Amino acid sequence: MIEVLSLSRCIQCDKCVKVCPTNVFDAMPGESPKIARREDCQTCFLCEAYCPADALFVDAHAEARVQWNEEELVAKDLFGAYRKNLGWGKGQSPIDNLKKIHALRELVGSPF
Amino acid sequence: MSRLDESGLELVADVLVVGGGPAAAWAAIAAAERGASVVVADKGYLGTSGAYAASTSGHKVLPPVALLRDPLKFERYALGGFLAQHKWWDRLLEITYERAPRIWEWGGYEIPKYGRDGAYRGLQGSETMRILRKVLLQKGIQILDQSPALELLVDEEGAVGGARGLNRQTNVPWTVRAGATILANGGVAWLSKALGCNTNTGDGALMAAEVGGELSGMEFSAHYSPAPKYSSVTKSAYYRYASYYDKDGNKIEGLNRNGHRSTSAIAKELLKGPVFVKLDKDTELPEQRELLRAMQPNFFAAFDKVGIDPFQQQWEINLLLEGTVRGTGGIRIADEECGTTVKGLYAAGDAASRELNCGGFTGGAGPNMTWAIGSGNIAGRAAADFARNLGGGQAKRVLQAAGRVGLTAQIPSESVWDAASIVKGVKEEVFPFDKNIFRSEKTLLDSLAKLEELWKTIQGTPLSDTAQHLIRSREAAGLVATARWSYFAGLARTETRGMHKRLDFPQIDPNQRHYLAVGGLDRLWTRPVPVEEEVVPVPEEKRKLQLA
Repeated sequence: MIEVLSLSRCIQCDKCVKVCPTNVFDAMPGESPKIARREDCQTCFLCEAYCPADALFVDAHAEARVQWNEEELVAKDLFGAYRKNLGWGKGQSPIDNLKKIHALRELVGSPF
Repeated sequence: MSRLDESGLELVADVLVVGGGPAAAWAAIAAAERGASVVVADKGYLGTSGAYAASTSGHKVLPPVALLRDPLKFERYALGGFLAQHKWWDRLLEITYERAPRIWEWGGYEIPKYGRDGAYRGLQGSETMRILRKVLLQKGIQILDQSPALELLVDEEGAVGGARGLNRQTNVPWTVRAGATILANGGVAWLSKALGCNTNTGDGALMAAEVGGELSGMEFSAHYSPAPKYSSVTKSAYYRYASYYDKDGNKIEGLNRNGHRSTSAIAKELLKGPVFVKLDKDTELPEQRELLRAMQPNFFAAFDKVGIDPFQQQWEINLLLEGTVRGTGGIRIADEECGTTVKGLYAAGDAASRELNCGGFTGGAGPNMTWAIGSGNIAGRAAADFARNLGGGQAKRVLQAAGRVGLTAQIPSESVWDAASIVKGVKEEVFPFDKNIFRSEKTLLDSLAKLEELWKTIQGTPLSDTAQHLIRSREAAGLVATARWSYFAGLARTETRGMHKRLDFPQIDPNQRHYLAVGGLDRLWTRPVPVEEEVVPVPEEKRKLQLA
């Protein structure tokens, strides 16, 4: 479930409001968006993937609430980690990830 | 007078596509390439909506070589109870082969080489959908995001002429009058939070049924996938590397069969007590682990975020219901062009029954993506042609809104029903393994009786003081309707076939090799529909491959 929207990182682009498939966020004029309907979050991590400022953190617990603070997320390098793993991070290209997959597959065989 | 009658956005198009996943995107592109003006309306955001965007699976594309395609066609043919049709498979694989590589081109990538096994893998779901959205916009297709369609519009002769709904962020109603309408708004997973599935609430099935459409394959809706117990991440492929343990750390054998997890065996164990998993089979090499990580980043997100190493540590699992999203039921396709039994109405992707290439069993991304790309392209082209043939006649049509239950009171009532209690009631009937996986006449009748009560309740006045409440009420109606069709069809299929398992009829019955059309709103009905293809014998090469 979405746990953190970092006000210090947020650039108020409202991308998360636009892309959330279950409409969890509300846009707030002149402010950062608000997590308005947390219980509707389906824990798909796509807001994290789309956030250009790595300001969101979705915990992997789908029903339970887990408390996080920003320092801890920074220390564990969890802000933007999913975006990076998709190859969507700054200076990355998803094609690099695919090249890596192809190379590894040639090396250890195709799992499927 | 409902909220939908208020003035709002009014659009006219040749083709309206309802939905926001790969089938919807492909249908829109195919219709536009045929010269049609196209509007897409989606509940969420075309790019993140539905199961595929949330998945990180890159599906395979196979060149036209029987040796490569046959294993895919025959792999699940018997599992699906011989209800798939090879002529559909061939057509869908051909379309995928022709169309899927365009995604690379559109995304600005070099077209990949086919790998050592003869196949190439597509881009991951989230990236594919990002590219498809860009293409839709480049082609001048108007996308209404966050705008669920709530009801279809029909003309005097009962033909579908568009739809209307609400923008859930601005609360402004929208109406699209269209020559042809394609429902590609997903299946139903009953709000289980299975990965990416909560936008899939059976909306398309209910809208189709209200205008006389039929469903098919609804008895094949008991698809569950394992996920770490705390999470939403239903990714089944990697469980082939799993060892299973009970709470005392003793290994449980027999939960993987033929290299795949067995849902019913896992469900039986879970009914006894907690089950734990570790990915410790054939995953010793660091390069293997790196490959698995690179291929399915979201599988590992579930562990990285909570600090579990899935190769070294055990974690508890649960099975989450994926319904018809990975099951196969949906709107019945009635012709070769993905048309339905209703004029002007087409269906594609998970909103349609996937029995034509998957029969009564599916699961993985390969067959499902082939269906999404294939049916999307077929429906898009056919809808564009249908709209063109209507010509000027379209503008003269007098259209009426066809939505009923969940939108307005069907019987006078003073009290207002609340979606939350209805949703809870449906979940209690469809989630439990001993009701949905292990079915019998008794369990089905018990559940149908409870669902009947819910259906009666929602004939009253829905909570609709806000746009959000109206949308939820309508979703709740879709959830009840699809659950009733699933169990009613399950009652009629007195055998075990595909993923439909009857404890009181444990064998496959050769006399029931047919589809089951199902429909009706207050009074349900079902009837067998013959499979227009004899059982296809497994080709010689495949037998040899199996022996080797």
